[in-house]
Amino acid sequence: MEYLLHIGIMLCIYIILVLSTNLTVGMANLLTMCQAAFYGVGAYIGTYFLMQFNLPFVVIALIVMLATGLTSLIISYASVKLKGDYFILGTLGFQMVVYTILYNWVNVTRGPYGIPGIPSIKLLGIWSLTGIYAYFFFSLVLTVAVALLFSYLQRSFCGRMLKACQTDEPSSQASNQSIAKVKIGAFFISAAFAGMAGLVYASYVSYIDPTSFTFDESIFIITALFIGGVGSRVWGPIAGAAVVVILPELLRFVGLPDAVAANLRQVIYGLVLIVLMFVRPQGLLGDAKLKQEPTPPSVEKPAPAKTSPYTNCSKE
Amino acid sequence: MLVQFLINGIITGILYSLLAVGFALVYNTTRLFHIVAAAIYVFAAYMFYLFAVTFGMPVLVAAIVAITLTMGLSLLTDIAVYRPLKNRKASNNVAMIASIGMMTVIVNLLAMFFGNETKVIDNTIHRSFTLGSVIITTPQMWQLVVGGLVIAAFLVFIGMTSWGVRFRALSADSVLYETMGYNTAHTRTFVFLMSGAFIALASCLTVYDGGFDPHVGMDVLISAIVAMILGGTGRFGTCILGGITLGVLQSLAVYQFSSNWQNAVTFILLLILLFLRPQGIAGYKQRTV
Repeated sequence: MEYLLHIGIMLCIYIILVLSTNLTVGMANLLTMCQAAFYGVGAYIGTYFLMQFNLPFVVIALIVMLATGLTSLIISYASVKLKGDYFILGTLGFQMVVYTILYNWVNVTRGPYGIPGIPSIKLLGIWSLTGIYAYFFFSLVLTVAVALLFSYLQRSFCGRMLKACQTDEPSSQASNQSIAKVKIGAFFISAAFAGMAGLVYASYVSYIDPTSFTFDESIFIITALFIGGVGSRVWGPIAGAAVVVILPELLRFVGLPDAVAANLRQVIYGLVLIVLMFVRPQGLLGDAKLKQEPTPPSVEKPAPAKTSPYTNCSKE
Repeated sequence: MLVQFLINGIITGILYSLLAVGFALVYNTTRLFHIVAAAIYVFAAYMFYLFAVTFGMPVLVAAIVAITLTMGLSLLTDIAVYRPLKNRKASNNVAMIASIGMMTVIVNLLAMFFGNETKVIDNTIHRSFTLGSVIITTPQMWQLVVGGLVIAAFLVFIGMTSWGVRFRALSADSVLYETMGYNTAHTRTFVFLMSGAFIALASCLTVYDGGFDPHVGMDVLISAIVAMILGGTGRFGTCILGGITLGVLQSLAVYQFSSNWQNAVTFILLLILLFLRPQGIAGYKQRTV
């Protein structure tokens, strides 16, 4: 049972991570390769505050989210300035810089030795979360709240603006919308929630080291998003996180020979990824069009007069 | 001492150049983020190990066999994954995810057969050459000579034949390229074979006197991509410029700080470069890809 709860908690953490990634990748079509960097920054800053101060969770979470959000400014600056593959490379560079700093700045982060004995979260200052059950329910509630928030965000004005940027950047710029502001906001929120996931992870596992926040981890988060479905509101990322977290665990019970089990699991995971990209490139629950087709000349009849021209925007 | 670091940097830079050319061949022609290159690098290393150590072949023969097999794998990747995806009009992001999947499969298959532990091909101490105060080991000499010759040959090839332009033409508009009477499939085959050869050569030269495990590929690939960006995208000669610049700068970073901060220097450099001059030192001015 504890095993199942552990998987449940990890699933919750990954759902938050994938949801936060979906805000930038899915809505604004900016493929970030540095979500694990924000996750790591959040984990380390959270650890510092958990160990030094006896503050309630809400306060620490807000500090962590603010600090991680501030680090995201580098990336949002990049997103305004760089396009396409250059942006991907910029995020890759940021990821590597953060990882190297976490790994090598031994005086502050203890580097490869990691930080053990991180105290658990205190809700409202007095009631410390103890036991795996408490953590499970806490992370479940948190995840549901985050999912609702993201669902709201994407339907809101900002979400639509992001979608507009993705679809046609010049024309949304022409309609007097500051794309830079929207992108900065999106990255701020995305990074802030990844940082919060880091905080939850650090206090749950009670030990962190830089190897949890590598480039591979960023790729893992991105693949989870692509498996679930890029751009879908909430269920896509949840499904993606569920697949990448639960599938390897299920494969434990298939009875693979022990010596090669870990590698064979990875092989199966890779194959699933390839097959999925062939069979369902938009992901399990995705709706985003990922085919690169030249848009066919419009032969549709004009929409009936009674629908307002803006109704199309609400169609996700 | 400084000269020694510079020479080491140039030799590392030659290896980066080979890798960057291997990556750029695919990237410049197909715009694919060829992440499988990481696995191809590791595959070449293991084939080299298999033939040189397990089967006890002479090193040179083993290297040639390994390079040939790796070229096959590179082509197989294209035929099995990239081309079908292209025919389905999948976006580059989708192809990249499939590429990540393919890399995971190859790397872990290798780990299944050979184990996850570090392998060493030759750990004897080699004779080294001394030129004044500079010491060059025999494997380094090989890297310098073979790598340098191959790069020179490649530059002549790109400069003297129409292939460089053809690669660019294919990337710009594959339909038009076909209309002009060229066979897209043949050009792609050629590109992937050559890319495999470059990556395999770099791999064999590198792993001969250093240990490797199934998971080294990604770091190597990232350095290759940085080298390509540093030099400038869209061309091939720039990869060599970028590779050697990167090698020297990393070596100087080791000289100035310590080897721990080598990667940080590389990537801070990459970020600064992307912000100030995204087309690289000598690339075409193009921001949107």
